Amino acid sequence: MSAMLLNKEKWPEFVGKLTGKKVWAPQADSEGMRFALLAEGEAPVPDYNNTRVPPKGVLFPQTETMLKFQVKATEVDEPELDQETVVLGLRPCDARAMAIVEKLFKWDIDDPYFIKRRDMVTLVGLACNDPGLNCFCPSVGGSPASTEGLDLLMVDLGENYLLEAVTGKGEALLKEMGDLLSEAGADEAKEKEKLVKEAEGKIKRTVDTEGVPEGLPGLWEDPLWGKVSASCLGCGTCTYLCPTCHCFDIQDEVEGFDARRCRTWDSCMFGEYTLHTSGHNPRPTRKERTRNRINHKYSYYVDKFDVIACVGCGRCSNLCPVNIDIIDTIRQVKEAL
Amino acid sequence: MSAEFNPNIVAFLCNWCSYAGADLAGTSRVNYPSNIQIIRVMCSGRVNPLYVMNALQQGADGVLVSGCHPGDCHYMEGNFFARRRLGMLKDLMEFVGVDPKRFHMSWVSASEGHKWKEVVEKTVEDAKEAGPFEGFRRRQIDW
Amino acid sequence: MKMDLEQLRKTAAEVVARDDVKYLVGWKQGTYGYRVAPGFVEDAAGAAELIFSPLCTANLATYLTLVEELPIPRGQEPDDRKVAVMVKGCDSRAVTQLIVEKGIKKDEVVVIGCPCPGVVDPNLLAEKYPETEDQVEMKWNGEGFLLLRGGEETKIARDEVLAEKCRLCRYPNPVYSDIMLGDPVEPWETDEDKGVEEVEGKDVEERAEYWAEQFDKCVRCYSCRNVCPLCYCQDCVLDRLNPTWVNRAVNFSENTAFNIARAFHLGGRCIECGECERVCPANIPLGKINRKLAREVRDKYGFEPGVDPDAEPFQASFKPDDPEEFIL
Repeated sequence: MSAMLLNKEKWPEFVGKLTGKKVWAPQADSEGMRFALLAEGEAPVPDYNNTRVPPKGVLFPQTETMLKFQVKATEVDEPELDQETVVLGLRPCDARAMAIVEKLFKWDIDDPYFIKRRDMVTLVGLACNDPGLNCFCPSVGGSPASTEGLDLLMVDLGENYLLEAVTGKGEALLKEMGDLLSEAGADEAKEKEKLVKEAEGKIKRTVDTEGVPEGLPGLWEDPLWGKVSASCLGCGTCTYLCPTCHCFDIQDEVEGFDARRCRTWDSCMFGEYTLHTSGHNPRPTRKERTRNRINHKYSYYVDKFDVIACVGCGRCSNLCPVNIDIIDTIRQVKEAL
Repeated sequence: MSAEFNPNIVAFLCNWCSYAGADLAGTSRVNYPSNIQIIRVMCSGRVNPLYVMNALQQGADGVLVSGCHPGDCHYMEGNFFARRRLGMLKDLMEFVGVDPKRFHMSWVSASEGHKWKEVVEKTVEDAKEAGPFEGFRRRQIDW
Repeated sequence: MKMDLEQLRKTAAEVVARDDVKYLVGWKQGTYGYRVAPGFVEDAAGAAELIFSPLCTANLATYLTLVEELPIPRGQEPDDRKVAVMVKGCDSRAVTQLIVEKGIKKDEVVVIGCPCPGVVDPNLLAEKYPETEDQVEMKWNGEGFLLLRGGEETKIARDEVLAEKCRLCRYPNPVYSDIMLGDPVEPWETDEDKGVEEVEGKDVEERAEYWAEQFDKCVRCYSCRNVCPLCYCQDCVLDRLNPTWVNRAVNFSENTAFNIARAFHLGGRCIECGECERVCPANIPLGKINRKLAREVRDKYGFEPGVDPDAEPFQASFKPDDPEEFIL
């Protein structure tokens, strides 16, 4: 199917046609934007730079019930995950992050929760016309209009959205919309090219990652890690707000006779993350933890899945309380090589 | 609602005064509401504010902490510490939107069976007024 | 500009050159935009990078208790040298409170006091004067601020970007220091604490609703706990699994429990440096809770933390005539 056009005035109708599906969309809360489930009849226009918390929670919720049971009973209940979901207006970097994380959740053992959700979701991306200060997606293999991981890409052309289906799911969604859409012509395609180029030009902070994955293991004992981590507070901001961080912890919670097993996000920046029962901690200080975070993204993941597990969304640099800036860190790594 | 609603009250009583006071109320056949679940602690100063919070989280509609009168503490000063901490906790809870009627503190000595009855009556009455606690109860969350 | 950067750098260089000083924690230029990073200085070259500007919001007293020490190998002596730290008025109260609580000893630290005419709120600043990738310099300029970026000077009125904690600050000059830099600044008229009063003005149900919305945003990254100079327990109650006071699950119930526990543990200890609020990625107004408790403690018990190094810790002391009108 060729590219389609959607007039922005018809946006509420477009959203309204998604009935019966869970729709996630960026919404303004008291202090910024975040992805939340859309209530019936709402259709906020996705006009934003990026959300503080990435939409990774749609596929990998911060807290997720794996099974429910009764204390002293033998049966378990598994949650049902069979509702069609649509994510509207997520940024290409976040969609790309989902594609990257998917590799892990499909590696050796298939993760049923993630994969079921992934199968049920349609990701409708929105290309960036105006990247933020810390965006550096082109440096790590992305682009402001990357379609990796997406089912459908929207480009904001001013009055209209240009809709391009990437996968079968995206095409199906376009078909559902029927006559809301009109065919796009060559002018629009040109316009898109122009916008993407402009957007790429607006990205100011870049970093050269060539040779970093191969070089990182050699820097294991480099003094650079001490320098980078000296000011680290050991909080989970960088990891919880990272669209590709995917570590989790599993806990049993009991309330009276009701109980559940749930998994929650965990952060490698916490001391208890690697703490053994014996009291020994193989990553005893923030230096080792910071080194692990960078190595995991830029070296281990590359070894295993051949892709850097950083999509350049810039959230960790934006929100680190003490200015530990991943762009600067990779530059330092590069210098130390 | 207040006619049918029977609040769950968790009461932390100090071993030396209030628990004995409640015991005296029992042996003296003093009638008081049966909504109170008593947890005996060695001293009111031992009551960690987290206990109060946790009780509310796990389904209590009200919490009562009771200890010896100032100056009578078996450990000399435990109840003075409790007074400071729990007074502050009450302010904090109120500020984050927990009805102050849900949390009470009292001094009941071992010989005050009747005061114990009054304290319980007041606590239960207040909790009934405040209604079922629906704030940050764990069971409110759909697993 | 009341303080001379030359003087600051010279003093810092002298301090780190001392035999009994391990390193100095100060502020240095961040990697881009308005960012200022904590700098760990061990030599004169490092001291030359230090700055002190209205962008230096971070409370460096945190780093006094944040050190993770590995067991010392057999035959080696522990490094008992002092740590030097640069503090603003509010930060110095954290140091004092740490001394009161015996979290640190007076002779373990060298406190370099910097009188502070008030810092900016980086979010407010970025909102009004968009952040770019260029590093900037910022100065105090009479009653306002001066922003120097790419050869351009912008004058900014003080009220426009001043951090909320500074509007309410009553201790702009360090209350405790070993070395004082520059001249003391004149304390200013503090505003009414509108944030707290606004919440106090609501009724209980509205307040519950207000905080429900706020706590719902919490992602439990614990940056508020970690950045707090007074949250320094080696084994935090929130990390405990047996008993699990606060479940790992992130939902409204556990988030509220966590936030109450955090705020309560700072009751009578919070020195209102506002770091928790600044670092919160979900922008939860934690400062309001802390300031409310601090105000209650001040009004009801006449106690103010972090002012007198010889005081008794608030929650570990009592007065026989503490208020008890709430007791049945």
